Amino acid sequence: MFAKVLIANRGEIAVRVARTCRVMGIPTVAVYSEADRGALHPREADEAVLVGPAEAARSYLDIDAVLAAAKRTGADAVHPGYGFLSQNADFAEAVLRAGLTFIGPPPDVHRAMGDKQAARRRMAASGVPVVPGYEGDDQSDGALLAAAREVGWPVILKPSRGGGGKGMRVVRSAEDFPSALAASRREARGAFGDDRMVLERYLEKPRHVEVQVLGDTHGHLVHLFERECSIQRRHQKIVEETPSPALTPERRAALCAAGLAAARAAAYVNAGTVEFLLAPDGSFYFLEVNTRLQVEHAVTEAITGLDLVRLQIEIAAGKALPFGPDEVSAQGHALECRLYAEDPDHNDRPAPGRVLHYAAPEGPGIRFDSGVVAGSEVTVHYDPMLAKLVTWGRDRGEAVARMRAALRRTVVLGVTTNLARLQAIVDHPAFRAGALHTGFIEEHLAAPAPPVGPPPEALAAAHAALRLSRGAGSPEAAASDPWETLGPWRLA
Amino acid sequence: MAARVSVELVAPGIFVWRDDDHVETFHCVRDGEVVHLFWRGTAYRLEADGESSRSAHRVVPGALEAPMPGRVIAVRVEPGQAVTKGQELLVVEAMKMENALRAPRDGTVKSVAARPGDMVSPGVVLVELE
Repeated sequence: MFAKVLIANRGEIAVRVARTCRVMGIPTVAVYSEADRGALHPREADEAVLVGPAEAARSYLDIDAVLAAAKRTGADAVHPGYGFLSQNADFAEAVLRAGLTFIGPPPDVHRAMGDKQAARRRMAASGVPVVPGYEGDDQSDGALLAAAREVGWPVILKPSRGGGGKGMRVVRSAEDFPSALAASRREARGAFGDDRMVLERYLEKPRHVEVQVLGDTHGHLVHLFERECSIQRRHQKIVEETPSPALTPERRAALCAAGLAAARAAAYVNAGTVEFLLAPDGSFYFLEVNTRLQVEHAVTEAITGLDLVRLQIEIAAGKALPFGPDEVSAQGHALECRLYAEDPDHNDRPAPGRVLHYAAPEGPGIRFDSGVVAGSEVTVHYDPMLAKLVTWGRDRGEAVARMRAALRRTVVLGVTTNLARLQAIVDHPAFRAGALHTGFIEEHLAAPAPPVGPPPEALAAAHAALRLSRGAGSPEAAASDPWETLGPWRLA
Repeated sequence: MAARVSVELVAPGIFVWRDDDHVETFHCVRDGEVVHLFWRGTAYRLEADGESSRSAHRVVPGALEAPMPGRVIAVRVEPGQAVTKGQELLVVEAMKMENALRAPRDGTVKSVAARPGDMVSPGVVLVELE
């Protein structure tokens, strides 16, 4: 086993990886930027190394700086988490070249699957169904527009080397195409350093389903069932679950078989996810392979009882999978809600600030994986996800009931969050009926809820609370304090 | 009628509310002139609505401010240009996402106070409309 693992990431996933390493008895090294000096993840590791300034390109994305940190601390393996360098073939290669182990797929798998055009071609050739689209080398505006016309409106533009929804845009007419293309290219250049585009027919009301796969270095390949991640905003998942409420046992078997076939076509090693769109008629189409651990891996852990990070580490260390294809069973149902510092009433814009007060929900079947604590600063530099709330139940109804209750006991004060939206989603009759699709939020929750003030007793409670808290304050400060006068209040 | 109510501080930011037939936990912290309250599953941001609490923030008619901290990546208009409601005026990128600043109404651009590459903070006036 490894002597020391460097975690090339931040936030929730860095904390989560460190926890498994601790259970396995493997010391860890965190890396952090100047903006993350006070962050939680450096504290959760055994050692922490400053790798650069706030700007990700010069810290978390700086391959040389990350490898220098590994060298300095004597780490012999690197876990990339998700995002940042996790799907970067050059990074995986640099790690190997430095004589370290990369806890993830080999560079050629990243390269083959990271190029979405090549991946689609390879999947189509292996008999995995793909959505009609364009993946040509002619990237001129004219060629892309002509392709969009041929594929048929609406189309979706995606960066060829992308992930996480960045640079993706749905375009519904030739008129909107040029500006959408320009914006997608700009975002793609900024996020991935490459602005080539793939274009596909945009399926209306599809579900997003995906198959978790695991491959070891001994040629064994298994799937760990599917996840449904249809609830998205800005093409980014915010609520996920497993099993998918849309699949019959027959369709589930077909989907998981297709996921395995795709992984086999990719010669997949380590943990990965094969994403599909599921049409209302039960047909499904390959989207892409995510060559990393997914944010939503915890729901799979909840129904299988497995620790995917542990399996990733064991596979990277050369161990054979501890179970065969039919030896993993799933039990019950699991949901995940992603808690973000963002404002759903204002176009989901990120809401930086300091977390002043923080309390996690507890109870049977609840798991709360957080990247922040009270006092943490949410900055503009990184993805604003705060935490993942996962609930498990014997069936979907119980998992949903536990989620609804847990979301009412998830306290984040100081920064605006999407908590109210998550509550609205899981409370919605369509969600509880399992009637999901990727446009769920636009269809059911597009209109921002009118701001509702707190009930009178809550205001009374707040006044009393402030008076109690002020006990220690200086009298001079109190004298000029607007809170001394119990005037009318308004929502800020 | 009037219930006997007591509020007790049990830990920093955590309080217990008691009345005749009801006990519950709530959370409350203060940050300058803003009070953050978590009550029965909902987070509220509150400000005292009095003279003394008015924010230093001046509201200038027609002034369009940066929606969030970030970097200006595109400026689409120039002073003197007529714009229509909904038209993209400039684009601010933050956390790798583009956010367009759009005209709230028809008008003429009076001034543009940002160039591509500028870092901006919320509240900074970027475009003024007449």
